[in-house]
Amino acid sequence: MKSMGRTDLPPEQQRALRSAVRWEWFTIGYTVVTIVLIAFVVGGSQAMKTAWIEDMLSLIPQISFLVALLLIRRKPTRAFPYGLHRAMGVGHLVAGVALLAIGGSLAVESVLGLLRAEHPAIGTVYLFGQTIWLGWFMVAVMTLIVVGPFFYGHAKAKLAPTLHNKVLFADADMAKADWTTTVASVVGVLGIGLGWWWLDGAAALFISAGIVWDGYKNARSAILDLIDQRARTHDDAEAQPLIGRIVDALEAQPWIGEAGVRMRDMGQVFHVEAFVVPHRRKVTVAQLEAARHAISEMDWKMQDVVVIPVTDLPDETERRSRVAG
Amino acid sequence: MPRVLRILAVASLALALTGCGIPTDPEGTLARIDADGTLRAGASPSGALVRVSGDDVAGSLVDLVEGFARSRGAEVTWEVDSEEALVDALESGALDLAVGGMTDQTPWSDRVSVTRGFTGIDGAEDTPVVFLLPMGENATQSALEAYLDEELRR
Repeated sequence: MKSMGRTDLPPEQQRALRSAVRWEWFTIGYTVVTIVLIAFVVGGSQAMKTAWIEDMLSLIPQISFLVALLLIRRKPTRAFPYGLHRAMGVGHLVAGVALLAIGGSLAVESVLGLLRAEHPAIGTVYLFGQTIWLGWFMVAVMTLIVVGPFFYGHAKAKLAPTLHNKVLFADADMAKADWTTTVASVVGVLGIGLGWWWLDGAAALFISAGIVWDGYKNARSAILDLIDQRARTHDDAEAQPLIGRIVDALEAQPWIGEAGVRMRDMGQVFHVEAFVVPHRRKVTVAQLEAARHAISEMDWKMQDVVVIPVTDLPDETERRSRVAG
Repeated sequence: MPRVLRILAVASLALALTGCGIPTDPEGTLARIDADGTLRAGASPSGALVRVSGDDVAGSLVDLVEGFARSRGAEVTWEVDSEEALVDALESGALDLAVGGMTDQTPWSDRVSVTRGFTGIDGAEDTPVVFLLPMGENATQSALEAYLDEELRR
């Protein structure tokens, strides 16, 4: 796991990537165990059922991360001259759309249940000579599994910026918010226990609204990168600060008068097109190579860098004065 | 956020310890059976499990329902009808319970609460037989299942 397409990963990123892969496998293992545990107790509670399906859905980002990782490590070929970096974005989009669609159908289901005033039924189990209400087991299982996402959520959230990986970031973000799902399902079950049947449907609606929101955020972020928005930070919070640094580095070269940059996120690595207006009419190959090299050296994420001498900068490029925005 | 979790943990623990009131019936079926001293049960004929002759209902399921009612100090008033009519009556709240040799594969589970399947009932042997209840009357279901566990596992 030393390279990523054309890029050789620096030691810090290699370590982070190995760690991320371990955490993803750990998460998959943990989630499979929770899915099996919940299967034993799911019963008639809509909130439990929704939380259960959410658990299943939460596997998609991890699986798509691991699959995409196999693809994006390949070097560019003649058939795929940009490498396969978009695989990460495609995985991100698939995860987002799945969350959106299934979350939506779960939300409709819980609203219909509430409108029809369906009273959820939870029976008992016979264990060690005792008849015990299944609701207590639901509460116990959910209380037991609430701790996991805290650990792997925070661990992955630390790795995501180092790797500039949006799937990992979104995954960590969802894991960190996972406890709200658990709390909601426990509230729903206790509601049933107290005879407040509507609390279960309300909890299910809350959980499915969370799934829809996650789906919307993920699908949106994936689509924006796939249609080549200006590169942004791993959390989409602001324009990628590297753009400004590239412009500065180019304009520091004595032969360049003005520079403008177009940079897109290929998923983890960037594709940089730098337009430069030279002071004189003649530009040497050595000068262009030096400029290109300076940009590539700036950060491991600079996968594909082209420097193009022009007489006027294209309007849509980022320049020194505009980068702030 | 951990504070929310802690509050919830304490609340569930408190409910579990004082948990005699959980689960509760949203429509109060069990409390009504206890207060009125009558359990309105429906029966649909099914071999040795539910035998109907004239006004008289008998059979091993009938005995179990009457035993359950007795354990709560109540009498059973029987109504004999087809399964679908019994399910309708459970849905409208006209019945508290229905038997008729339905198994745990019963398709009525969409409309009424279905108990666990109980084996070892005379005349059914290894077939898991279920009892039907109004949807979501979880206290009634818990009480009935607890009674049946005790009765059938002795």
